[in-house]
Amino acid sequence: MSIMEYNGGAIIAMKGKGCVAIAADRRFGVQALTLGTDFQKVFPATDKIYFGLAGLATDVQTLSEKFRMKVDMYHLREEREITPKTFAHMVSSTLYEKRFGGYFCFPTIAGLDAKNEPYICNMDGIGCITTPNDFVVSGTAENQLYGMCEALWEPDLEPEDLFETISQALMNGVDRDAISGWGGIVHVITPEGVITRTLKGRMD
Amino acid sequence: MGGNIEHRFSPYTDNGGTTLAIAGEDFCVVAGDTRQSEGYLINARYSPKVYHLKNNAVLATGGMHADGVALVKRIGQNLDWYVHKHEKQMSAPALAQMLSTILYSKRFFPYYVWNTLGGLDENGKGCVFSYDPVGNFEKQHWSCSGSAGHLIQPFLDNQIGHKHQSNVEHHLLPLDQVLKIVKDAFNGATERDIYTGDFVEIFIITKDGVTVQKHDLKKD
Amino acid sequence: METTATLRFLDAPASIAAFKHAASEDDIEATASACVDMAPREFAHPTFDIPAINNPVEFLKHQTSVDAKNRIKIQHGTTTLAFKFNHGVIVAVDSRATGGSYIASQTVKKVIEINPYLLGTMAGGAADCSYWERELGRRCRIYELNNKERISVAAASKLLANMVYAYKGMGLSMGTMVTGWDKTGPQLYYVDSDGQRLKADLFSVGSGSTYAYGVLDAGYKPDLTPAEAIDLARRSIFYATYRDAYSGGFVSIYHVKEDGWEFISRTDVNDLYYQYAAEPKPSLAA
Repeated sequence: MSIMEYNGGAIIAMKGKGCVAIAADRRFGVQALTLGTDFQKVFPATDKIYFGLAGLATDVQTLSEKFRMKVDMYHLREEREITPKTFAHMVSSTLYEKRFGGYFCFPTIAGLDAKNEPYICNMDGIGCITTPNDFVVSGTAENQLYGMCEALWEPDLEPEDLFETISQALMNGVDRDAISGWGGIVHVITPEGVITRTLKGRMD
Repeated sequence: MGGNIEHRFSPYTDNGGTTLAIAGEDFCVVAGDTRQSEGYLINARYSPKVYHLKNNAVLATGGMHADGVALVKRIGQNLDWYVHKHEKQMSAPALAQMLSTILYSKRFFPYYVWNTLGGLDENGKGCVFSYDPVGNFEKQHWSCSGSAGHLIQPFLDNQIGHKHQSNVEHHLLPLDQVLKIVKDAFNGATERDIYTGDFVEIFIITKDGVTVQKHDLKKD
Repeated sequence: METTATLRFLDAPASIAAFKHAASEDDIEATASACVDMAPREFAHPTFDIPAINNPVEFLKHQTSVDAKNRIKIQHGTTTLAFKFNHGVIVAVDSRATGGSYIASQTVKKVIEINPYLLGTMAGGAADCSYWERELGRRCRIYELNNKERISVAAASKLLANMVYAYKGMGLSMGTMVTGWDKTGPQLYYVDSDGQRLKADLFSVGSGSTYAYGVLDAGYKPDLTPAEAIDLARRSIFYATYRDAYSGGFVSIYHVKEDGWEFISRTDVNDLYYQYAAEPKPSLAA
């Protein structure tokens, strides 16, 4: 068993028309045993940037704290908000610092930049960034999520349609993965604010 | 000094490819892509792995191509013997049980094949049976297996099974909608799975017989 | 008729390519064997192909292990339970099949209806369970025709145990409960692919069994009413599906009574979650 499959989890981010969405499941488990169903895998970096961490739960928490500190330090030094692209490169270089003994986490980032242009990316455990124009997925349900997103996603979705699309992709994807699921959470980031909804899902 | 070389009996290879089957009210659709590959090599762009059997059932085989061919040949012989003995064609559910027994007869040296069988039952309703390599099988309404099986299966759960669609009336879809979903599924899978592509062959089984459609998929 | 259990290939492996199954010689009386002879030969004894290599057992073991290049994944993960009580036997199972962490099916039938008065459950290799319990059903029928009476559950479960014992060490995986009602009343046996056969009032088998035992042991007593027993079985399986990632789908329940088994219910565990969540919970002691 890979250490990336020790706790389980699934994360997606999608681009919409002037908005982005990021979604994750809520399970915290140790291999087959489910210990919690309200585990946080997606964190706010700023008002307009959220990041999700898929992988080993201890590294999820360590890294989320580390990124919070770095974003706060950026804010104090620069006296402005970090942009999604800059944040992504900060995450990437933080991971690459541990190139030869890294964190077991694959980050996903979704946000709006200074001009409210959508930005999504994800990266591997040592910080290699990919920035597609449609969607990114990671976690133990990666294959299922790719299949769902590839079939459901279309360009220029409005916030409500984007919410429905990402929710359907997440819930149907994790229902074919034994170690993801137990409910979900979706954040849709728009220029007007963030819409956060929790999803009821199968609890098995 | 060279290191130790480990020799092992290794008779299997995975030739990739994806197959699916969907049962309708009075029809059944079985589809598979036609790419045949080995590692990063594409051996053939048109090497069908979905077979129209003599009793008007359709068998989709995935996994190792050679084992699939051998298995289909054996099934064909059994179907012929059945006709000689009983003077009628074997029904799809009977074939389903026979296939399980054939697969289990190689429990200790399995066929490296993931089968999906589609046909019409005694009442003319569509039926789908999916198998593991050693003959465990289950009657289902829809099923997808092979290299992109993990990608397509949740999509079928959603679109055919109406999973997570609480406000939608649950019913079996008509043929034209099923065909659209099959094409969407394969186009999506081809984007992400390197072992799926080139063409998709769709077999449509009705009481009048079996028809085949062939559609292009991306060839990269 | 070829009746000896030819395990010779284990010593001189390349000498034999087909393995004839005939371990049951002791189980069926001589008259029964004579009847079997009249059946077409391919139905008389199951035969199994064996690769003509040095160590076929090691080959299969490797091929089904995680480090095999072209791995044959055998589906696993289950919660099943059965218990005797004053009104017969209750059998309850989940319906999930997993290959690794992928959920291969949410709708597996894990109660095998061997015949109208015998049930078997499925845990471990799905094909092994369904194949050998189907074979058991056939042999029970032959017994019935020969002896003009139904086979006892003790005998049926021993038939199954002996069949799989002949293949011990060859990679079969089966953890099953055989239950029914015979002349001596309700019966419950546990049989597995190691050849173990146990008789008791209560069993749970599979990856979620520990969770099921937790609920079951807390609520079990022999004088439960049928409705109480069914509810207890359903809750036991439900809480196992909640905690165990490799169990889930639907809870199926059967009740074994004097005149044979009865199918009780098949419930989506997701409906049960929200139903149980709505029930009043006892408040914690201050």
